[in-house]
Amino acid sequence: MLSLWRKIRSTGRVAEPAPPAPAPTRPTGAAADGPAALPMFGGSVQIRHVDTGSCSGCEIEIGAAFGPVYDAERYGARLVASPRHADALLVTGPVTRNMVAPLRRTYEAVPEPKVVVAVGDCARNCGVFGGAYGIAGPVSNVVPVDLEIPGCPPRPETIVAALRTLTGR
Amino acid sequence: MNVALGGLLTALVTGGLSALAGLLFPTPRRATVVGIGTAATGVAAVAAGVAAMAGQPAVVALPQLLPLAGLLFTLDPLGGVFVAVTGAVAVAVGIYGIGYARHGLRGRSFQAVLPLFVLSMVLVPAAASVGTLLLCWELMALTSLLLVLAEHRRRPQVASAGRWYAVMTHLGLVVILIGLLVFAANAADGSFAALRAAGPTVSPLVAGLVFVLTGIGFGSKAGIIPLHAWLPRAHPEAPSNVSALMSAAMVNLGAYGIVRIGFDLLGGGPGWWWLLLLGLGAASAIYGILLAAISTDLKRLLGYSTTENMGLVLVGVGASGLFAASGESTLAGLAMAAALLHVITHAAFKTLLFQSAGSVLAATGRRDLDDLGGLRTGMPFTTAAFGLGALAASALPPGAAFVSEWLLLQALIHGLPASGLSAAIVMPLAVAAVALTAGLAVVTFVKAFGIGFLAKPRSPEAAAARESPASMLTGMGLAGAACVGLALLPTVILPGIGAVAAGVVGSGNPVVVDAVTIRLADVAGSLSPLLLALALTVALVAALAAARAVATRRATAIDARLWDCGGGPLSARMEYTATSFAEPLQRVFDDVLSAEQDVDVTHVEESRYLVQTIDYRRRVPDRIERRLYQPVLAALAGWGRVGRRLAPGSVHRYLGYGFYSLCAMLILLVVTR
Repeated sequence: MLSLWRKIRSTGRVAEPAPPAPAPTRPTGAAADGPAALPMFGGSVQIRHVDTGSCSGCEIEIGAAFGPVYDAERYGARLVASPRHADALLVTGPVTRNMVAPLRRTYEAVPEPKVVVAVGDCARNCGVFGGAYGIAGPVSNVVPVDLEIPGCPPRPETIVAALRTLTGR
Repeated sequence: MNVALGGLLTALVTGGLSALAGLLFPTPRRATVVGIGTAATGVAAVAAGVAAMAGQPAVVALPQLLPLAGLLFTLDPLGGVFVAVTGAVAVAVGIYGIGYARHGLRGRSFQAVLPLFVLSMVLVPAAASVGTLLLCWELMALTSLLLVLAEHRRRPQVASAGRWYAVMTHLGLVVILIGLLVFAANAADGSFAALRAAGPTVSPLVAGLVFVLTGIGFGSKAGIIPLHAWLPRAHPEAPSNVSALMSAAMVNLGAYGIVRIGFDLLGGGPGWWWLLLLGLGAASAIYGILLAAISTDLKRLLGYSTTENMGLVLVGVGASGLFAASGESTLAGLAMAAALLHVITHAAFKTLLFQSAGSVLAATGRRDLDDLGGLRTGMPFTTAAFGLGALAASALPPGAAFVSEWLLLQALIHGLPASGLSAAIVMPLAVAAVALTAGLAVVTFVKAFGIGFLAKPRSPEAAAARESPASMLTGMGLAGAACVGLALLPTVILPGIGAVAAGVVGSGNPVVVDAVTIRLADVAGSLSPLLLALALTVALVAALAAARAVATRRATAIDARLWDCGGGPLSARMEYTATSFAEPLQRVFDDVLSAEQDVDVTHVEESRYLVQTIDYRRRVPDRIERRLYQPVLAALAGWGRVGRRLAPGSVHRYLGYGFYSLCAMLILLVVTR
């Protein structure tokens, strides 16, 4: 217990200094075909992550984005354990055939208003898996996508910046 | 007219006639006649018991019936409590047994022995001499053993359970016999009046010996650790109406014996007796409920819960003795009243719980909670009955056990400033033990009710379960009504219980009641169970109404699919099981329980990364049993092997043994004369 306290004290704060807040309406990472106005959540967005067939690269970066260094939670974004608690879905990977129905049901389970964020190139356009057996297509084929984060995998800074356009902080 | 005497004699006659009817009536009507006869015996016993509690004496002397000693019955208020409890249990169980007998219990022997068992339990608290007590005790042991063995043809485990029960109960009888004979040797004769007169004058050493010996015997009947080994074996294997009788009525008589010998006949005694009793009671309560919390067999769980509740009763008795030894007579009366009230409430809810468990067993053939579930749709009445019993057993405010445990805690808490150093150490520990027990009881019964009756059925038998016949439901209804009555209006019986407790310890009545409120005499504390239940109901209704009002104020209702992780409909295999529900508890108490579990993972042939099956096995051995009984049993078996060399099968040698032992005896006689 004491050693834990000592560790906390000696480590101190490791979070990166916060970059300036995003412009209120224009999402920085949004693709050209993204909707112009996203619903505003008043500074707090609860996020459910759905892996529809990812290689886990994006998961590692999401983990880093919510870790102590990039610390997305200080901007009001928070990962939750059920779509019933969520405002936004964070979808990674190309949608495999087995995940089409679960993804659609998860989308239906999120209360309105809701947004879907496609994280990584696979979620946007199937990436290297495009046309492969067992792939049903990108996320936008299954559920409407509001925000896309490019990269294979996207850097944590990019993820955090994109999420900040949702929270507006 | 003397109701106590009349009731006792009526019970004797109806019990005997019912047993005879069990022998003589033809099979189709046998169970009905015996059931009604048993219930009538119960009604007579209740009348006798209540009249005796009100102060009517009943004396029956049958000097010719048993050679040398004769039979002598005297019903006093203390005995009256236990006679009334036994009678009330017999009424519910007798009616219940009419329907339950359909499941292979219509045989002549079973139906004839059942009323005898009830009768012997009614007579034990009325016995007023050593010979009578031992005779009734042995009759009770033998009849209950026959009843436990009723289903031995169907399940081989019954025989093993019966052996354990037979050995334990007879060893108990032997120590009680020795204890009472030592006591009687120091008194004028074997009647309780003579023992009572001699009690305060016998030397402390003899008195201590008598108390410890009889305490061991009666404690084993009450299922107190470490002598509880028979209880979780015999209760599940006995037919459920017998389990109800044993668990709700018979084990009480162990507590009765301790109170009768310790308080009445030996006249109190030094503090260490009662400290010992209190410690054993507290340990039994915690250990019993802990094993109940992790057992998955419904009736075994209820059996362990019996150990717990008897432990709580003995905590009350022990505290009462401790207070009496240090001169705090009002507190002693309070603790004794709590113990007696707990005997009554335990009898009510345990009858109900065992009857519901029997109803489930009859409908599904399953006792394992991991195979049950989803009984609410097929068996609504049984589910409601078990729910009511579970609420009563878990010592939460609108439940029956709450009142008695509240009284017990009041006695223990107020005992802290009252008496000396030992009390200052023991009382807080006892309060903690009772509180821990109450908490674990909630876990246990939430598990038993939630896993066993709600959610989806986990086996086809549970899915096809149908409600039990009307006679069984009537029996459960009676026990359920008793539970509700004890929970809401304990004020009706508490003055009587308080007076009996006061009579036992020689104090004023420790509780004062008006229409709905219980007040403690001399110490601060009051409780209104009815008002409390009303307040809870009102709060619940208000909360529900508020939630509904908020929900309906919203503009539109949305139909949404039940969230099932997106993967398709939920199945019974995804449910919590009794094992998984208790797993966190098992981890917390791993030092005490030391569960054995192993996990076998088999992989598919092509890849080590793909799992084919996972096999999880968990056993929680009774640790006390393993440490204490296994060495003794192993030593006995070793003895047996050595002894076998003496019996090689030669007739000459056996004749020789007889001859030489006769000669040795004769020589001994000649030398000693």
